[in-house]
Parts: sequence; structure tokens; C-alpha cells
Amino acid sequence: MTIEIHSLVILIPAKNEEQTIERVIMEIRQLFTPVPVVVIDDASTDRTAELAKMAGAVVLPLPFSLGAWGAIQTGLRYALQQGFHTAITMDADGQHEADSIPDLLYPIAIGQADVVIGAYPQRGSLLRKIAWSVFRQLSGLALEDLTSGLRAYHRPAIELLASHQATLLDYQDLGVLILLQKHGLRIEEVPTLMYPRRNGHSRIFSSWRIVSYYMIQTGIFCLAHHGPRNPPSCPIK
Amino acid sequence: MSYQITSASLGLLIAGVILWLIRRDHLHSRHALWWLSVAISALVLGIFPTTIDQLAPWFGVSYPPTLLMILGMAMILIKVLLIDIHQSALERKTRRLAQKIALLEEAQSHQVHKEENP
Repeated sequence: MTIEIHSLVILIPAKNEEQTIERVIMEIRQLFTPVPVVVIDDASTDRTAELAKMAGAVVLPLPFSLGAWGAIQTGLRYALQQGFHTAITMDADGQHEADSIPDLLYPIAIGQADVVIGAYPQRGSLLRKIAWSVFRQLSGLALEDLTSGLRAYHRPAIELLASHQATLLDYQDLGVLILLQKHGLRIEEVPTLMYPRRNGHSRIFSSWRIVSYYMIQTGIFCLAHHGPRNPPSCPIK
Repeated sequence: MSYQITSASLGLLIAGVILWLIRRDHLHSRHALWWLSVAISALVLGIFPTTIDQLAPWFGVSYPPTLLMILGMAMILIKVLLIDIHQSALERKTRRLAQKIALLEEAQSHQVHKEENP
């Protein structure tokens, strides 16, 4: 099985990323010229949408901010509507390298995975690592990088994640992965390099209040969805 | 003044406000049934406050006012839970609607672009 380039779409959720969005789009277009780049504008108040359009991206303008996951789901619904078979999600802040896209596509192309995560587990403070190991235990996910925004979704995953049942999620992280796992979709990780954010900051790790809220919310979600686990099917290569 | 007058006027006031709100269309019809029963209970318990004294022994409650409190709080709890469930459903719909608008807006700008440069 191979992935045809015309069935591939790249989704970039962006909120107030005018400093980096152009460069991110340019880098992708240099490497993968025929692949459509879709920027989901999460109600930015700066020139993000305008710059993205000028750089050659399709822009999906949200009327009000839905948060990171709401924006990505908009992109996934677009991919479904337009008949794309594989969708790559990338951050708009320049953290991810366009070079790593082929690595993400490979496990899908050989029919080994439905979702591929570009993992960079080295990042993050000790506290963060402890938090993730707790969540790994709670969720039963055998993955290293639970929050990476660099992912490839194949058609069955796109269909699931574009549906109503994924709409009340807030971040592209554990909730999404648990949902995928529950539906028996195969998740794989590939190691990738990530740059420090050129601009901006983590949406999750921005303040103690938000972090604590996020941790509690995610913990409850893990416990609520604690059920029969599929055998671990996601070894790190 | 007898306490019965106080409770009866409170019951009448609550029932009156609820009925007025239903008639004025301030409450969606699906909530009206709930509130209508609240109005009726307020009326009955207000005019005949001894009802609760008769009910209490059935539930094995020796101090009747406690039964009133517990039933009242249980009702409030149920209602608040229903509100949150409804609220979550609305949130889901709102998000999907916003996403749909983004998709339609893109499709429309595409259309306009096509018409301008055929």
C-alpha cells in the first residue's frame, strides 16, 4: 500500500500565530508543493488568517475560539468532506519540522497503523514527566509522548475523530488517544526532532491554574474511561 | 397570625410566578411540566402544611421538616444535573455549528473566487 500525494492534507490549527505561520506554511510547501495546507484559524485577533491565505493555505475561519482540539476537529471534518485519506496535524508555532512528515506517513503506508504520533518525549520538566507517567498508568496507553501535536491520521481515525463523540474534547492529547484506543485503532509513535517554540508557549502549560485544572480534568477523564484495555499495540520503534 | 397563612401565601406566590412565566413563554415547554409540578407541590404544601407531617411516618422520618428539606434538596440536585447534561449537549451542538460555519465560509470564499476569475 502506498499513500497517494493527492489524498494527503496538512492541518494547522492557529491562534494568533502571525509571527510564525507564514514560515511554517512556506517550509511545507517547499517540500510538498502539491499537498494542500489547511490553516484552521481559531478566531485569531491578529493577521494569522490573512498571512496564511497569502502563503497559499486554505483558511477555515472559526467564528469564535474553540480551543486547540475544536480547531483540529474542524480540519478533520474538512478532510472528511473533501475526501482526503490521510491528514497530518502540525503546530503553527514552528515546533515541528516538515521533514518529519514522511516518517509519519510510513507506518500508515505499510498498513501498520491508523494513527502515527511524532514523538519527542525528551521535552518537558521532571514534573511534567511524572504527570505523564501517572496518566499512562491511568489510561493504559503504552505511548511516550501523549501531547504531541504532530500526528498523522488515516481515514478510519479521521472518521472517528470528526464525529460527534469527539466534539467535547478540549486538547489533542489523552482524550483523543483513549477514544482511538477504545475503537481498536492502531496507534504508533515515531521519534522526531522538535524545535523549541519559536513563538508563544504551550497552551496547556501556560499557568499553574490552567495546569492544575488540566491535570484534574485529564485524571477524571482517564478514570471515567477506564475500561477493558486492548493489548498493547503501540511499541516504540 | 397562623403559620398556615405564611406558608399558603408563599405557596401561592411561587405557583403564581411559575404559571406567569409559563404563560409568558419564558420557559421552554419541555421545562414547563417540571415547573408546573413544582408549582402544584408548593401550592399543596403551602395551603396544607400538615401534608408533610402525614407523609413523614411513611418514610420513617420522625421529624417531618427534615423530609421536606431532603426532598427539596433531592429535587434541586436532580434539576441541576439535568441542566448540566443539557448544557453539555448544547456545548457539543454549538461547537459543531461553529465548525460548520468555518467550512461553509471557506467553501463560499472559494465560490466567490471562482466567479471572479472564471
